[in-house]
Amino acid sequence: MKAKSLENPYLDELEKKSIAIIREAKAQFKNPAVLWSTGKDSTTTIWLCKKAFFGKIPFPVIHIDTGCKFPEIYEFRGRLAKEWDLNLLVAKNEEAMKRGVSPEKDRFECCTQLKTQALKNLLEKEEFDALILAIRRDEHGIRAKERYYSPRDNDFKWNYEDQPAEMWDLYVKPSEDFSHMRVHPILHWTELNVWQYVKREKLPVNPLYFANNGKRYRSLGCQPCTVPISSNAQTIDEIVKELEKSRTPERAGRAQDKEKAYMMQKLRSLGYM
Amino acid sequence: MQPLFSHEAECAKMNLSKINLVVVGHKDHGKSTLIGRLLYDSKAIPEQKLQEIEGELKKAGDESFRFAFLLDTLEEERRGGLTIDIMQTPFQTKKHLYTIIDCPGHREFIKKMFTGASQADAAVLVVSAKEGIQDQTKQHAFLIRTLGIQQLIVALNKMDEANYEEAKFQQICEKLQPILDSLGYRSPPIVPLSALNGENVFEKSRKMPWYRGSSLIETLDKTVSPFVPPFSKPLRGCVQDVYEIEGKKIVACKILAGILEEGKIVNFDPSGGKGLVTKIETFGKKIEKAGPGDSVGLIVNKLKEAKRGEVISYSQDRAKVARSFVAEIISFSGIETRNNDTLTIRCGTAENKCKAQRILERIDPINLTVNVKFPEILKSGDVGKILFSSLEPMCIEKYSEFPELGRFVVEGRKGTVAAGIVLKIETAKVD
Repeated sequence: MKAKSLENPYLDELEKKSIAIIREAKAQFKNPAVLWSTGKDSTTTIWLCKKAFFGKIPFPVIHIDTGCKFPEIYEFRGRLAKEWDLNLLVAKNEEAMKRGVSPEKDRFECCTQLKTQALKNLLEKEEFDALILAIRRDEHGIRAKERYYSPRDNDFKWNYEDQPAEMWDLYVKPSEDFSHMRVHPILHWTELNVWQYVKREKLPVNPLYFANNGKRYRSLGCQPCTVPISSNAQTIDEIVKELEKSRTPERAGRAQDKEKAYMMQKLRSLGYM
Repeated sequence: MQPLFSHEAECAKMNLSKINLVVVGHKDHGKSTLIGRLLYDSKAIPEQKLQEIEGELKKAGDESFRFAFLLDTLEEERRGGLTIDIMQTPFQTKKHLYTIIDCPGHREFIKKMFTGASQADAAVLVVSAKEGIQDQTKQHAFLIRTLGIQQLIVALNKMDEANYEEAKFQQICEKLQPILDSLGYRSPPIVPLSALNGENVFEKSRKMPWYRGSSLIETLDKTVSPFVPPFSKPLRGCVQDVYEIEGKKIVACKILAGILEEGKIVNFDPSGGKGLVTKIETFGKKIEKAGPGDSVGLIVNKLKEAKRGEVISYSQDRAKVARSFVAEIISFSGIETRNNDTLTIRCGTAENKCKAQRILERIDPINLTVNVKFPEILKSGDVGKILFSSLEPMCIEKYSEFPELGRFVVEGRKGTVAAGIVLKIETAKVD
């Protein structure tokens, strides 16, 4: 990558908008939390939270653990939680795991139970009223329809057909009719923006993103449902170079996006990330 | 489903200026098809996405939705051929990186159109050459003007269904021009095109030799200019929050206009506090100045109290505290406003109770003439002017002077229920 794009003021524009949104969420909600998968997007997001609050994130960082994440994810999680002084909470649906819910049986059910339901349980227990999430518009068509503030009802449902208006940068908390707010501070970033920012800010990167024996992961999920891409990229620069040429989408290795044309839409309307 | 991104485009954009473009127009006049065509011709679509769409088109058995399918991602949208929610997608030309905001044209979807249009620097109004000017053509032109969008280009679509005839083009132009004139859009470019066949979209068409102008893309590049942040205006910023960190009080503030500098005295209104900015705090970086869009932390000497919602400014050209103001209001679903109703108004980071002292007029967004003076009520979907009086002191500005503090939303049970543009304010004396 050229040095020029590293100095790019556009990354500053992205960053300031995100930080302003994170501060709005903290000011407007009583009990917010941020979701962290250990992937590049949510690691960037918790870094932005650190910046917004001058080093110490004043709310919990939630990791949804399906029990079948890559070992590298757990290792990275533990290391960074310590280094960045995170108040880490792990969301796990033990009951469904005991029942033996698995992607081999039913992928839709597996995602819903081990991710959405796990989060739901934790949310109820901790009474969070806002969740900061690292989704981006360019990741998936259905995510492109999201707002920065996206209210969820008591059943966790996303009513995409009747979303509230969101005007200018006036993010509004409804006075009722929602159980928690999803806040999306990096909605306007792209995959490439994130990598450029990770490089500029020297953020730690999960090793799964780098090539090992000619394969690397472009998007991190659960071990059984995430396939690596062919790649020799060993550094962020090489990843960026690879992305510049790529015309395949980022989440091509994520089974839940592909299974059926509208699986992601259905998962998300039920509260999936 | 795949994202609509080309990374090549993404990289190159770093040196291009960014323009947010909202596409509006009557339903079925071909907004989604036009956007799909723009994305297709600018090669902003990954191969896999195209293959997926081919597959679904075969299933749907109707290939005329081809380009609209690129945009519409919800199952219902594809099945019904109707955009349900807004979508933002980028494409790139030699001059700019555009983000196109596709807004539904169906009547019930005004609030979505607003959500999209409030982010736009310029608008493309799509009019079908076959159907001509329809209610929503006028309504959307009126609404984007109300929202303060000053750059407009007309795409006269479906020329293929009008045999690419000049007469048809002229006929619609003659009707459209006076309407746009009356809204203050003086002779905007009108480009005859066919989104379906790609005529006059990226490349200049050979099928319309009578047309002397440029293709839509060239016209956009030539006429549209990007948003310029208000660096040279007097300082305005709004307090987002106040943090206590290691015994220090840090005022988190978003700068809206002008430049905030260390070592200067700032006023906090409407409370009337003031103090010397001894330091601008950001995490891990030293800065002495902050400009529009920056969200920074201020260490302010001798400031007794600061709270969310306050506006900062310098004493010279200080923020105005209003007693009453007149605003143009656009209501979405679920709100009715009557004289003497109390509304919660959000402007900057402040929430204030205001009384709708008198509804001054209701404007019919389709006939574009004032149809009722002093109506009793503004219903959902109505546009009107209201004289508000603030029940507590509040900082607000005229939209024409400080757009960032001259626009507001009305908060309701489900969030934003109306939007307003401030035309006039009457200030209260603060000390």
